[in-house]
Amino acid sequence: MAGISIQNVHKNYGALNVLKEFSLEIADGEFIVLVGPSGCGKSTMLKILAGLEPASGGRIRIGDREVTDLAPGDRDIAMVFQNYALYPHLTVAQNIGFGLKMRSTPKTEIEQRVLAAAKMLGVEHLLDRRPKQLSGGQRQRVALGRAIVREPSAFLMDEPLSNLDAKLRVHTRAEISALHKRIGVTTVYVTHDQIEAMTMANRVVIMRDGVIQQIADPDTLFNKPANLFVAGFIGSPGMNFMRANAEAGMISLFGQRVPVPAAPPGDVIVGIRPEHLALGAGKASFTVKPTLVEGLGSEKYVYFDPGEHALADSLRDEQRGKGLIARLAHVGPVAEGEDLTFSFDPAELHLFDAMTEKAIN
Amino acid sequence: MKRTPLQSLLLYGGVILVCALLLFPIYWLFVTAISTLSEIRSLPPSFWPADPQWETFAKVAEERPMLLWLWNSTLVAVGSVALSMSVSVLAGYSLSRFSVKGARPLGLFILTAKMLPATLLVIPLFGIFRSVGLIGSLWSLVLAHSTLIIPFTTWMLKGYFDTIPRELEQAAMVDGCSPLGALFRVVLPVATPGLAATSLYAFVLSWADYAYARTFLINAQNSWTANLGITTMKGEYVTDWNEISAAAVFVALPILAIYLFLERYLVGGLTAGAEK
Repeated sequence: MAGISIQNVHKNYGALNVLKEFSLEIADGEFIVLVGPSGCGKSTMLKILAGLEPASGGRIRIGDREVTDLAPGDRDIAMVFQNYALYPHLTVAQNIGFGLKMRSTPKTEIEQRVLAAAKMLGVEHLLDRRPKQLSGGQRQRVALGRAIVREPSAFLMDEPLSNLDAKLRVHTRAEISALHKRIGVTTVYVTHDQIEAMTMANRVVIMRDGVIQQIADPDTLFNKPANLFVAGFIGSPGMNFMRANAEAGMISLFGQRVPVPAAPPGDVIVGIRPEHLALGAGKASFTVKPTLVEGLGSEKYVYFDPGEHALADSLRDEQRGKGLIARLAHVGPVAEGEDLTFSFDPAELHLFDAMTEKAIN
Repeated sequence: MKRTPLQSLLLYGGVILVCALLLFPIYWLFVTAISTLSEIRSLPPSFWPADPQWETFAKVAEERPMLLWLWNSTLVAVGSVALSMSVSVLAGYSLSRFSVKGARPLGLFILTAKMLPATLLVIPLFGIFRSVGLIGSLWSLVLAHSTLIIPFTTWMLKGYFDTIPRELEQAAMVDGCSPLGALFRVVLPVATPGLAATSLYAFVLSWADYAYARTFLINAQNSWTANLGITTMKGEYVTDWNEISAAAVFVALPILAIYLFLERYLVGGLTAGAEK
């Protein structure tokens, strides 16, 4: 086991700069998740860390060893791939023991360690099968077995759950977390799924366009997002954003004067999470007409028009459009088009600079 | 969708017709081999001899250097397969995996050799082989056949390698393989159907050659391949077509045996990539 130090790593493909000055210190035994939308550079960073892609610049250390220019097999890491990458011509036992065989480990030791890893993952009855005879979940376990059997300094995982169905994904997610707690190996995990990131990580690295947006533990990311992107990315549904003008520590929101002592005078973007909007009157209240109501059984998503607070097109989430959402738990019938009063606590508001999109504290 | 009886009739009728067209020459070759010369020349022809002359096969095997010819053909075909597969595996893999500037135009340029008729290349190849003293040697055929085989098998294998996920090699490299080690330990075993299909193509192309063998080996009787040897069985005044046909059956048998052996790989190899 070892910590990982990534210093100023960047990656260019010709003029295209896909990873910009990535620096991260990972403690021994830590579970780090790199998360971000497609094309943000997270998988590229993982491949650079594995030695499968050369970096255009920067240094990487694993433990006390400089590994920047080492071949993947010399870095003492193990990797779990999105499509499992099990060798189809080998049995499960041969797949798990392949890395040990490559390191000239004695045959009897390979057999013992393969069996121990297989037992840990509950696949000892599958050792003589070929990958095509396994289900998706079993393949995933074998891929994990191949990683843990070598007892490497670090695990690298590239979206290992994205090929599983929703139910199995939740189950395997918990298993990977439990496995990490049990063996305590430093893990770098890449995903585009914020729920995986929030539930598994000690710390989450949020990336966008090759740039780190924020590095923090899940609670901090949720409660104190560093900028508009992080605020919108974390949370489901994402945070509501509205345009407002601050003056003397106050903003006008849906006709209400709301105190925001931290806000400098001028245009600001106000954010509030859908779950922080409550039904009925409260500290600050406003009335809207719902444009759409989605019932999910235990909760309802109520969509409404932001009116004068709509963001400029460039700042809007394309999938979301310009509507705002309230997430209401355990409420009765809500009708579209009829007046509905919401309230919120001004302390729950998030403020962002309209120009830089950075959070205002 | 369930077929109507008429559709079934047309479908099976069509399949039988196509099979009959394809198999008739093989059948006729065999019937000619076991017929007497008078039966062969009779009109209308008989579709099965009254007294099958099975001894024709033994006669050809004893009186003609059939085994030597077949051995020479085997050496040339195996040599051509070995040389062309060695080159085209590495070339196809490189074209599939590495994006070096100019690689694609170069790869397409290789294919232009395949576009030229083999007979057009015979003259320059003859000149080259004569200057290096290879005329009359089986090596001349191995090299000449490889020039025809490599362009096509390179692209055939490139297409096959494209269907193999890169993550397999990456996993092998993380597990401790070198890039070449990952190719030999993981990619090639996974590519067995593709390798079988391309090897078979290479073997058949080399085995079936006549033009190059006739040009390079005609004055070296001990190096004659089976196809070249058979053509020398045609006499100036009399030709024993039954013996020539029996010899041709001998030549066809190895190909048939290899097809039967590789059939299970072949279908997968030729259809790979269609699913992705």
